[in-house]
Amino acid sequence: MSSKVTRFRLAVVAVAASVAVLAGCSSSSPSAKTSATSCAPAKGKVTLQYWNTVPGMDKVVALWNKKNPNIQVETKNISNDQYGILSNALKAGKAPDLSQVGYDELPNLRTQSAFVDASACSAATAAKSKFVPWTWSQASFGDTGVFAMPQDTGPMALYVRSDIFKKYNIAIPTTWDEYAAAAAKLHKADSKLDITFFDPNNAEWFNGLLWQNNAQMYSYSGNKWQVTVASDQSKQVADYWQKLIAGKLVRTDLANGSTQMYAAYQKDQIASYVGAAWGYSMFRDNLPKQAGKWTIVPMPTWGSDGASGDWGGSTVAFMKGSKHLYESVKFNTWLNTDPEALALENQLGGLYPAANAGLQLPALSKGVPYYNNEKIFDVFADSSKKINTSFAWGPTQKTVNLALQDAMAKAAAGSGTLSDALSAAQAAALKSMKDQAIPAAAGK
Amino acid sequence: MTDIATRATRRVASPGGRRRLNGGGPRAGTIFAFVIPFFLPFVLFYLVPVGYALWQSVRVVRRTGGQYGTSYTTFGGFEQYTKVFQNDEFWSSVGRIGLFGIVQVPVMLFVALVIALLLDTPVLRLKSVFRITAFMPYAVPGVIAAIMWSYLYSPQLSPVVDLLNGIGLHPDFLGPGAVLWSAANISTWLWTGYNMLIMFSALQSIPQELYEAAKLDGASNWTIAWQIKVPIIAPSIILTTVFSIIGTLQLYAEPAVLRQISSNISSTFTPNMLAYAVASGNNYQQAAAISVVIAVITFVLSFGFMRLTSKRAGL
Amino acid sequence: MSKQTVNRESQVSRTAAMALMLLLAIYFLLPIYFLIVAATKPQGDLAATNGLTFSHFNLFENLRVLFTRSDGIFGKWIVNTVIYAVFGAVVGTLISALCGYALAKFQFRGREFLFSVILGGVLVPTTALALPLFLLFSATGIVNTYFAVFLPSIVSPFGVYLARIFANAAVPQELLESARLDGAGEFRTFFSVAFKLMTPSLVTIFLFQFVAIWNNFFLPMVMLQKESLFPITLGLYEWNGQTARAPLLQESVITGSLVSIVPVIILFILLQRFWRTGLAAGSLK
Repeated sequence: MSSKVTRFRLAVVAVAASVAVLAGCSSSSPSAKTSATSCAPAKGKVTLQYWNTVPGMDKVVALWNKKNPNIQVETKNISNDQYGILSNALKAGKAPDLSQVGYDELPNLRTQSAFVDASACSAATAAKSKFVPWTWSQASFGDTGVFAMPQDTGPMALYVRSDIFKKYNIAIPTTWDEYAAAAAKLHKADSKLDITFFDPNNAEWFNGLLWQNNAQMYSYSGNKWQVTVASDQSKQVADYWQKLIAGKLVRTDLANGSTQMYAAYQKDQIASYVGAAWGYSMFRDNLPKQAGKWTIVPMPTWGSDGASGDWGGSTVAFMKGSKHLYESVKFNTWLNTDPEALALENQLGGLYPAANAGLQLPALSKGVPYYNNEKIFDVFADSSKKINTSFAWGPTQKTVNLALQDAMAKAAAGSGTLSDALSAAQAAALKSMKDQAIPAAAGK
Repeated sequence: MTDIATRATRRVASPGGRRRLNGGGPRAGTIFAFVIPFFLPFVLFYLVPVGYALWQSVRVVRRTGGQYGTSYTTFGGFEQYTKVFQNDEFWSSVGRIGLFGIVQVPVMLFVALVIALLLDTPVLRLKSVFRITAFMPYAVPGVIAAIMWSYLYSPQLSPVVDLLNGIGLHPDFLGPGAVLWSAANISTWLWTGYNMLIMFSALQSIPQELYEAAKLDGASNWTIAWQIKVPIIAPSIILTTVFSIIGTLQLYAEPAVLRQISSNISSTFTPNMLAYAVASGNNYQQAAAISVVIAVITFVLSFGFMRLTSKRAGL
Repeated sequence: MSKQTVNRESQVSRTAAMALMLLLAIYFLLPIYFLIVAATKPQGDLAATNGLTFSHFNLFENLRVLFTRSDGIFGKWIVNTVIYAVFGAVVGTLISALCGYALAKFQFRGREFLFSVILGGVLVPTTALALPLFLLFSATGIVNTYFAVFLPSIVSPFGVYLARIFANAAVPQELLESARLDGAGEFRTFFSVAFKLMTPSLVTIFLFQFVAIWNNFFLPMVMLQKESLFPITLGLYEWNGQTARAPLLQESVITGSLVSIVPVIILFILLQRFWRTGLAAGSLK
């Protein structure tokens, strides 16, 4: 009968709707605890999944696989939408044993209960001494557990076209004040010449500069996250670059690593580059004709404090659901502290190691021909040691970065200042944390 | 005829017949079999997601204690909706789309109407050529059209910019004030031909006799066009307006492509971009609320417009 | 009015109309022309030479680079687009036709209610569906597979709406009655009688759904992360986002765009009469 047909149809709708409700319900209970209880070696062969975005990592892993027939590792390249893929996998319960996670994304993923605490393994906690202090501090969330092993870093320094500075008889700046003065002098001497470019769509780079000025954006006290994105130290950095932008002393139309950027450097329109260790190959590979003209010196400083900042770098994290903690720890430690592994990662992937042993690598102790055979990595190693260990990222860092970029773009286009951008980022941080029910307050 | 009717009534009268009153019609099971291949996917991929979005929009995320407490969702009433209406970015994106729509839709439909009318008069030659030319952009997906136009807007690559520079103009199609209209231009380029064809098809179905009386009175083509044809095809104009309103509110692809080359398009430029950005921050409940609000606004505007115009037309 | 004045008036209007249409034609064709010209140039010439004139002919090299890039991923994207848009539209047309036919030709209680529900689906914005579908698919593991895009794409409420109109218009009730009296089953009647009568309408429904899927960007963008599953639109969008870092990609984006739209444009021009019947029927409300 027709009513039978309609009734059947309603039944189908009801079933489908209840499926939806159940799907919703299943996510409503708090998830299982994140720390593993045991670190026992498995009996028999184990296969681990390791996801990353490093070029050449498969060769490093092949090296391990040859030496460790009972602990085989399979890799997957997730360069195309790294965090989207990871997020999906976590939601579907199909996360790998180990995954590359940037330092700035660690708190965010932690709030999604993405990690497993490996401190049940003594080998894990013992690895602390093998790494540059700030990297361990962030990977262990202030020594509260072992959630990841640091892999590489991006200590910052100043890349300088020494020939341009010499031509206009300007000393290479060592402080930010000197840098601003040099910017004015260079621009006066040649109106088409700028000291550097400010890329508003690069929150990661800007965060590195804030880090250098010891700007603490997030801390935890009184059972709440204290958010101080627009602190005085942050504002000092913002106001500094705002002055340079307003005085038209820096370019604001170039994106880092873009063809337009290289074209500008090639035409001798820009005299320096505020960059990280992994940037050294950029000029070497894209501007071969400028060999010998570049030198690398420490970042300009704020006053007598010789602090430096970090831009980028990643860890290898122990992901939730990992069933072979002992083997994961073993592989992860080897991957990020063994000199042979580190040398290969540096050579093939351009990684600047976070491990102390890595800083002594032969490849990193040599002079680099492109840079007048200078031992540029000494500068980076030095910079590495001066990076503030108490700097922390926020649990909604990606959202805050996006808001910061949107606002910095407006400032670069002339509407608002970089200081306003910081305020916008502060508001975005508080709002996004509230949306995720993360207890937060505007700190002092 | 009588035969069929007698046969039909006889069938109904006989007991045990599972046939229905329209005599010889299909059984319930057959009807079900015809309808279910569409209806089941429709329920699963249209109705269930709508239900799920509504469900999600009344949920909120809470956390257990500690710096990294684990999260869980629970019933939140209208909390998500309150947040949407208190969100400045939401209102900016809606305002932007509103401004976009108020200008772009009438301009585009007016151009479409003019082309349709011109194609329907003897005034124009090479009609089929022009009709095809206007319709061609419809074959191009929005993303690719936006990519094509982004090259025409780019200061480095665009011959248009070169031409304008040559005569002393220096437009910045990707600048903060202009970029919204650059996106509007892409939408116009894409949809004018489609809307034109709807109106043109309606024009073609008007019987010629209607014009003869007017022509005998000495009416010019112009008068016939605006005073006779346009009122007659008013339903198709209304339809294209409704579709355009719906399309404008969903805008995503064109600004997303322009965002790749212009930093003057924020990640929350249109309401859909806002919903996506919010979802990317794992706040699915808020994204669901935003989607529901947009869908409701769409519904109200399109339905409202249809009601308004049908009342005016006295239908 | 004298005949002469009338002639002069029409001459002026004719010239004005032609001038206007010519301008509009240039507007509609400009990006496509630019694409053709740009696709024949080598990457270096894009910025260096005038955008509207040809330079060194490099089309075959650009095509070669396009199809060999990243182990032939562009070819994969073409196959994927065919799967989503062609197969999807074929399946979608079939199920829309069956449902629309039933709604038109079969009497049953709840028929109008069912039709209203389906019609309501026409007003649901597809972008609003993508995010909740994404979550549902994530929970069931279909996300990032072909099904994630294919399954939602086959649903076209507008197709059912058109099918109902066309079935009513093209298939006379008497034909069905006589077929039934001859003892033919409903499915056999549909496929042997109605299908043939409705063929032009089915082509129209297919074309509409093809365009809808071909145009749909938000759904595949939300559902897919694996590059090998992308349709062409998503693939070109990804490449376009990377051109700042990899300049040679720009030429592939341009050539790829041209390759993807030329066959569809040709198809549309050849089949344009189907659009007109469809759009005329659609505007009847």
